Amino acid sequence: MSWLHILIFTPFIVALVVPLLYKQFVHRIHTGWFALGVPILIFLYLLSYIPAISQGNTLIFTLAWIPSLDINLVFYVDGLSVTFGLIITGIGALVTLYSIFYLSKEHEALNNFYVYLLLFMGSMLGLVFSDNIFVLYAFWELTTIASFLLIAFWFEREKSRYGALKSLVITILGGLSMLAGFIMLAMVTDTHSIRAMVASADLITAHYLFIPAMALILLGAFTKSAQFPFSIWLPDAMEAPTPISAYLHSATMVKAGIYLVARLTPIFGGTWEWFWIISVTGLITLLYGSYNAVRQTDLKALLAYSTISQLGLIMSLLGMGSVAIYYGTGNEGALYALASFAAIFHTVNHAVFKCCLFMVVGIIDHETGTRDVRRLGGLMQLMPVSFTLMAVGSFSMAGLPPLNGFLSKEMFFEAAVNAAQMSIFSMESIGVLFPIVAWLASVFTFIYCLILVIKTFCGRYKSENFDRPVREASVGMLIAPLVLAGLVILMFFFPNTLSQYLLHPAWVAIQPALAQAGELNVNIAFWHGFTPALGITIAVIALGIILYVYLPKWSKIYNYYPRAYTLNNIYDQLLKRLENGSRWLTNAYMTGSVRHYLIYVFSFTIIIIGASLWLFDGVAFDFSRDAPVTVYEVVLTVAILLAALTVLFSNSRLVSLVANCTVGFLVSLFFVLFRAPDLALTQLVVETISTVLFLLCFYHLPKLKKEFAGVKFELTNALVALGVGATVTIMALSVQSTRLFPSISSYFENSYELIGAKNIVNAILVDFRGFDTMLEILVLFMAGLGVYALIKLRLSGGKENEEIK
Amino acid sequence: MNNLVVLPIIIPLITGLVLAIFNRQIRLHRLLSLLATLSISVVAILLMNQVAIDGPQILQLGNWEAPFGISLVADMLSAILVLTTGIVVSCCLLYAFASIGRERELKYFYPLVLFLLTGVNGSFLTGDIFNLFVCFEVMLVASYVLISLGGTKLQLRESFKYILVNLISSFLFLVSIAYLYGMLGSLNMAHLSARVAEAGQVGLLIPVSILFLIVFSIKAGLLLFYWLPGSYSAPPAVIGAIFAALLTKVGAYAIIRIFSLIFYHDPQITHSLIGILAGISMLLGAIGAVAYWDIKRILTYNVIISIGLILAGFASFNQIGLTGSVYYIVHDMLVKALIFLAGGTVIYVTGTSKIREISGLIQLHPQLGWMFFIGTLSLAGIPPLSGFVGKVLITGGTFQADYFWLGGIGLLTSLMALYSLMKIFMNCFWGNTELTPEMEKGSTRGLLFPIGILAALTFLLGLGAEGIYQYVELAAKGLLDPGIYIGAVLGSNPIP
Repeated sequence: MSWLHILIFTPFIVALVVPLLYKQFVHRIHTGWFALGVPILIFLYLLSYIPAISQGNTLIFTLAWIPSLDINLVFYVDGLSVTFGLIITGIGALVTLYSIFYLSKEHEALNNFYVYLLLFMGSMLGLVFSDNIFVLYAFWELTTIASFLLIAFWFEREKSRYGALKSLVITILGGLSMLAGFIMLAMVTDTHSIRAMVASADLITAHYLFIPAMALILLGAFTKSAQFPFSIWLPDAMEAPTPISAYLHSATMVKAGIYLVARLTPIFGGTWEWFWIISVTGLITLLYGSYNAVRQTDLKALLAYSTISQLGLIMSLLGMGSVAIYYGTGNEGALYALASFAAIFHTVNHAVFKCCLFMVVGIIDHETGTRDVRRLGGLMQLMPVSFTLMAVGSFSMAGLPPLNGFLSKEMFFEAAVNAAQMSIFSMESIGVLFPIVAWLASVFTFIYCLILVIKTFCGRYKSENFDRPVREASVGMLIAPLVLAGLVILMFFFPNTLSQYLLHPAWVAIQPALAQAGELNVNIAFWHGFTPALGITIAVIALGIILYVYLPKWSKIYNYYPRAYTLNNIYDQLLKRLENGSRWLTNAYMTGSVRHYLIYVFSFTIIIIGASLWLFDGVAFDFSRDAPVTVYEVVLTVAILLAALTVLFSNSRLVSLVANCTVGFLVSLFFVLFRAPDLALTQLVVETISTVLFLLCFYHLPKLKKEFAGVKFELTNALVALGVGATVTIMALSVQSTRLFPSISSYFENSYELIGAKNIVNAILVDFRGFDTMLEILVLFMAGLGVYALIKLRLSGGKENEEIK
Repeated sequence: MNNLVVLPIIIPLITGLVLAIFNRQIRLHRLLSLLATLSISVVAILLMNQVAIDGPQILQLGNWEAPFGISLVADMLSAILVLTTGIVVSCCLLYAFASIGRERELKYFYPLVLFLLTGVNGSFLTGDIFNLFVCFEVMLVASYVLISLGGTKLQLRESFKYILVNLISSFLFLVSIAYLYGMLGSLNMAHLSARVAEAGQVGLLIPVSILFLIVFSIKAGLLLFYWLPGSYSAPPAVIGAIFAALLTKVGAYAIIRIFSLIFYHDPQITHSLIGILAGISMLLGAIGAVAYWDIKRILTYNVIISIGLILAGFASFNQIGLTGSVYYIVHDMLVKALIFLAGGTVIYVTGTSKIREISGLIQLHPQLGWMFFIGTLSLAGIPPLSGFVGKVLITGGTFQADYFWLGGIGLLTSLMALYSLMKIFMNCFWGNTELTPEMEKGSTRGLLFPIGILAALTFLLGLGAEGIYQYVELAAKGLLDPGIYIGAVLGSNPIP
């Protein structure tokens, strides 16, 4: 076990201890302080890997879990995993710090909160470090569960539960589909290691399972990273406490899909399917998210849609970057590979500024009691620090200098412009849409960034809108967003340092071939000259300002879209229809009537057995070896038939009963004819006793009323009865004609010599197969107990007597 | 020859008979019955290790050489299932101590559970197809009595259906055995296998094998499960849990045994059919599970999903799929008991099974809630719980057999199962707490401990999968190579 393993397990172990500490210190120390050490510790430890990875080294640590199945905790340290690991723990530490001031230790179930949070943190770390796909999947599902629990943290609220269930259903759907994809990958490559799969990427792209495996895995990535149309769970996930929204639903968990796509790019990249699916989904998500963010009135909902849009942006960059693998080494490859770099860069930037924004929104909510932009306004004087933080975060997101978002946004525009000039994958005809969508979506982004800042902080302060005096948040709550805002600015001024130590090594993981050829070079500059990207930025600002000013005029277009066709409504309807349809279907065949059930069983038997008899030539009649039929047998058979028919058509219980036992007695006569006196005697005794018992019971029963349940029903019964009888008879006759082997019974004929028994039947019953007999006696004994208990014990059912089908 | 093999059958048999004599000594009943189940578990562990070293353990009863007498065979699959049965029944007994009530205890509840166990273990261990029938009868008659024990209206109505359907399946079972004996002239399963191999699995043998499949499908709840939802919800929770954990698994075991030992020659026909039935069962089970807002119904339909999944793995008939099936049976026996006991406790505490009438239980019963949650996740195959490994292997097995649709149905229905159970969790345990401790219909005293053991086991089975994996893998190997079983039973003697 390596230090990395121990550190990744630390959150889980601390999560076990937290409830105990909570009980002990609940009124004195905020439970968050106990949790805070964990991310800080891991963050510092991960920093120690930076020298190694910045020199292009990678490390592997293995801990056996299920070695027989090749499911082991193989943790792989490279640029990509460390970058994500630092985001997870860095943001994690800040969020924990923030939550200590955000959540009251008097009113909230802090033990649960920090258990879930640590569970999430550990799972997320495991996810990004796992090289084994099944371990990756395991951690992937754990993040889903942790997120589910966190969204429903206030489980008394209906909306929390709704949001939690929605996220669970959608992300588990994706998770299971991803699992199917992983299993296919493992089948094709015969390995569970992502590194080994990268090495045999050609094998995968040539295999017939390539498309299904890719589609299934992408479904997992898209649901997790809230790509269109699976994005609907993310706005509802905002029911979680704000620190959680900041952490899981903007900075880390939703990036898991991004991580996966980045990680698998060397495997699937370079194919047109991968490129198109990811770029187009990303661009649609980008546009959909930013367009919808503008109309939100709840600040958190606005940020949720903004997150969706930014995730789409990163996703599309990964798609565009994957083309580099098609080109291989060379100038063109290196050019397109820049998109991959931009994707990582923007992932980091987005985590930093979006987390800051969420924290500020949390502060506003905490201090004013509302997040509704229609009620907010004029807070600038009252909350100057928050205003500054909001401005820094928003303008970074909008892509303005001197903030880190500007740099990655420029790179995004550049990648989109480059992609438009591609001459493969049919891009020559519609590639021009890429920069257009990028520009349009960025305009909306710009508008909602202005809304965030202006509608909240500028304008007139309306004190009647607030139920408490509004003031700046406590210092404790401001520390974390201040650090993040500082990073936003710092990263703008020193992007190349960040790139050298972190982003470049991560880039290498996405574009290993180019990296080996030494062609991955990037120099981030504030000023590139008058490039198309700069032009787009200026166009975004220009159109953005105009549209913002005229927002009241054109915002009506949001009302034109029919509510019935919103994705949310479709999800709700689907779920409702699934339940109603299921109930309808199940009620249709689970009638509660045993007659129906028997009809199902018998019809199934007739059809399946009949079909197999016919298909496999099972029917074989051979009467040549049969003994001649004597007159006794004919008479007995006719008598049995008559007696059986009497049971069916008689109007009195007594007559039916007598006819029924006539059948039994006549059968025992057959045994006499076939020289089996023991059986005949047994049969006689059984028939006699059961008839007497029946007579005793029937004495207490009311008169038999013949009911006629309709021609259709009776006809079905008749058909089923005839069918079963025919099937059993045909099979019996065929068996009689298909004796493949002599019976072992000849062995028992020596029973006198074997055990000194003169009666074979007795010898079989008490010796050769005495075990059967013993158990049959037990059966009788139990039946006796059952009858006794039934007579003696009559508990009242109470409410248990409800109808159950 | 190994006398240990018969112990899992006769320990409960003899204990049950003794208890039936001292029928007023309830404390003795509790003590001895628990002792019996625990000692069965110990015997099973011994057997597992012996099998791992020396191959299948055989006992020719009465010292009659196979195929003339009855052979008991403990191969790895049987031993694992006997062990799991012992553990599950031990937990259920602990639960029964606190919940079943004095009236039922006095009316032979414990002896009947032990007799049921006799039948179940007998079915797992017998190597004789007629003896399998007899063991089924023991198990079924015990279950008839258990399901009606107490005589409430609901129990009587549902036990009538249960008995009727099972009688018919027993009749079909007997008819199938007669056909098979008529053609092959033997009852010893190893001998039957050798003879089928010699004659070729063609012609009439195929319909006969399918008739066996139908018989066991009724018992296992594979497609022909209509009797199941009603009868499993009628008796008290602990009886429902025993049924859900064990009875359908015995049917599944019989399918696995017959179609890996005797009729394994033409998987294109028989195993594809099993796969189709498994797929439909999973779908119908999942549809039934999401349809209702009633704890009992949701839980019983989940039984059907798992049976489908177990047999989906078997239908793939390769090493991965079979390993997955065996692993999943063990997992499902534990977790079904867990979820039925936990769900039963909810009903016991609130006095209702309708989840719309229950809310916010977690405030008063956090342990119960989280154990139910663990059971839910485990059933859905969320790692690192025990369902994960089985689900991965079964899906892998079906994919490898090119049954992509079957693996897909398995994954889709596990999502639906998760949804149905999460519905119970979210509605019953979350939300506003409406109950107060005074309003509760029953107390959870003594009920949480056995559920806790099962919850711990599902963790252990998942995290420590490596520990039992070698045994499970051996079981699957034994299924793929019937020669091991046959060789152990018939020895090197020339077969007449």
